[in-house]
Amino acid sequence: MKVLVKDKINTALNRLAENSQVYVPVHREGGSRFAPWPTVPGDELALDSLNTMFSPKEVVLPQTEKMYTFAARGQSVEIKETGEERKERVVFGVRACDSKAIAALDEVFLTRGYEDGFYKARREPLIIIGKACTQPGPNCFCSAMGVDPLEPDPVDVIIYDLGDAYGWEPRSERGQKLTQSLGDILADRDFQKPSAGEFQLQVDINGLPEKLAGMFEHPLWEELAEPCMNCGICTYLCPSCYCFDIQVKNRGTEGYRFRCWDSCMYPEYTMMAGGHNPRGSKHERFRNRFLHKLEFFQERYGTSLCTGCGRCIVACPQGINIVSIIKRLQEVELDVR
Amino acid sequence: MSGNCNCENPLVPSIVKVVDIVDETPDVKTFYVTTDNGIPFPVMPGQLAMVSLLPAGEGMFSVSWQAEDHLEFAIRRVGVLTDALHDINIGQEIGVRGPYGNGFPVAACEGKNMLFIAGGIGLAPLRSFIKYCFQHRDKYSNIQILYGARSQADLCFKRELFEEWPEQKDTEVYTTIDRAEEGWDGKVAFVPTYLEEINPSPDNTIAVVCGPPIMIKMVLQSLEKMGFNDEQVITTLEMRMKCGIGKCGRCNIGSEYICLDGPVFNLAQLRQLPPEW
Ligand SMILES: Cc1cc2nc3c(=O)[nH]c(=O)nc-3n(C[C@H](O)[C@H](O)[C@H](O)COP(=O)(O)OP(=O)(O)OC[C@H]3O[C@@H](n4cnc5c(N)ncnc54)[C@H](O)[C@@H]3O)c2cc1C
Ligand code: SF4
Ligand code: SF4
Ligand code: FES
Repeated sequence: MKVLVKDKINTALNRLAENSQVYVPVHREGGSRFAPWPTVPGDELALDSLNTMFSPKEVVLPQTEKMYTFAARGQSVEIKETGEERKERVVFGVRACDSKAIAALDEVFLTRGYEDGFYKARREPLIIIGKACTQPGPNCFCSAMGVDPLEPDPVDVIIYDLGDAYGWEPRSERGQKLTQSLGDILADRDFQKPSAGEFQLQVDINGLPEKLAGMFEHPLWEELAEPCMNCGICTYLCPSCYCFDIQVKNRGTEGYRFRCWDSCMYPEYTMMAGGHNPRGSKHERFRNRFLHKLEFFQERYGTSLCTGCGRCIVACPQGINIVSIIKRLQEVELDVR
Repeated sequence: MSGNCNCENPLVPSIVKVVDIVDETPDVKTFYVTTDNGIPFPVMPGQLAMVSLLPAGEGMFSVSWQAEDHLEFAIRRVGVLTDALHDINIGQEIGVRGPYGNGFPVAACEGKNMLFIAGGIGLAPLRSFIKYCFQHRDKYSNIQILYGARSQADLCFKRELFEEWPEQKDTEVYTTIDRAEEGWDGKVAFVPTYLEEINPSPDNTIAVVCGPPIMIKMVLQSLEKMGFNDEQVITTLEMRMKCGIGKCGRCNIGSEYICLDGPVFNLAQLRQLPPEW
């Protein structure tokens, strides 16, 4: 068995960065996020704290991403794609909730008729080094959402915190190769996998998608949405929210088209020419977010779009808590049809 | 084709040239587009494409006719992109990507009487199916077309409406405008009212409906009254769209994406969806 002694983390990351673009969790500007290694001065590795404030979805779905440039001359137009150069990429320290979210993004961007070329260019060469969670935080409820905190998936290597070292376990062929490339930086040592701690936050989602299918017009939605300001922070920080907008930037006749994160919490998201908006009111947008997470995605892709990371609970300025919302929804008694 | 489209990436348009522009109404123009190598991609009736005038923007439009050597888009002027499109001239290169959406069930409708009901720019998507029926005339039984617009000037595709389509075998074309005006001796009525007057038989008939939301709603009620069941009524939905390929999220109704699973649904399918349409 292999371990990565904690003193050698920088050495290991440097070695990986020789051939790959490496991303690590860092504390930055009062928050935390995944950032390229080597990090900038002031950044501090954030391996020991729980979830980063921004999720690692940035690694596969950046907040803004140029898609192509264009130049118009007279009546002619030329288009040039500006996609990422394909290069091996490694993301270090992804937790189970966040890798489950990447699995959901894979479903969206790589299946159902179309492969999204921009996503694929970032995702395919990506090696995920997952980090087993042994001590869930006060807002973590991944286990309730069917995620095993000790078993991030998809993943190429899993690391386990052993105190002075990380237990290192390759989980895929690519993970094996990466392990070999680290050679003598890893040490041989037997270790016992730690077990997961107790979850403070629990909720029962049994039968929830089926129940929600009959609750679209339930008056509870208006009450639940009441405090929401439609600020959209929950959607930006969520590891599995993926909605995007496509916009254009140009100077004169040259410019580029890019995509950027969008949020179903904003009225413009669905506003149509002429002013008609199918989700024109706050509670309709709020309802769409929760139903997408808990019902629609399940119906379409066979899995929940909430992985229980707890970020939205921490970040919501209005104290809206998805676990309490699920509990309220579960308490509703519906007439048996 | 000039630009270098990368057709591996569905979000990147390919370049086509506008080879003709027809003024349909004061605010609708039809754009004919093609490439030196023919149409940019094959399209079935009722399918969609993203059309972009590169510096201005990108928008989803029904392909109004898929000819052998070009595609037609009938585009109403309503905002930034469509304003800019209305100002271009023949010869302009624009971007298109597609084809998107499921399209009309042309095969399942074979052998049926076809009843097309449209209002305003809503004739644009139906026209692709109407012309397809005429192109494959023997596969479809009687054809009835009911079309209404606010005024004479607002009627799209006038030459086809008044000259070509009425000449087709076993075909009736009913045209109406909302308010009486000089120089119009045709019908004056709203589409749903006229529909009830015509009172088409539901026997072996498929009704295909597209128009402003209020017209669709009333026409659906009328059809139900006349005995059409939910499987016999087809409509096409509109939601705001950005990607066209079921990724960007915004065009969902429940777990369906209108750009991918739609835009064409029969009423039975629509009734399975949450009432957001
Ligand atoms: C399935 C489908 C088929 C359509 N077919 C036709 C057609 O055949 N002919 C036609 O004239 N119009 C059609 N439309 C509507 C057309 O897409 C909008 O009118 C157009 O995008 C407005 O763009 P704009 O920039 O001129 O307007 P603005 O109001 O300036 O639009 C601003 C932004 O909103 C978006 N937007 C506004 N309204 C809509 C809308 N209804 N749907 C999607 N995006 C919208 C635009 O893409 C743009 O990014 C169709 C829409 C859909 C969804
Ligand atoms: S909905 Fe909230 S708890 Fe669930 S995955 Fe998104 S941010 Fe995490
Ligand atoms: S973070 Fe809270 S207030 Fe903001 S949109 Fe999400 S639920 Fe509403
Ligand atoms: S337009 Fe993006 S999902 Fe339909």
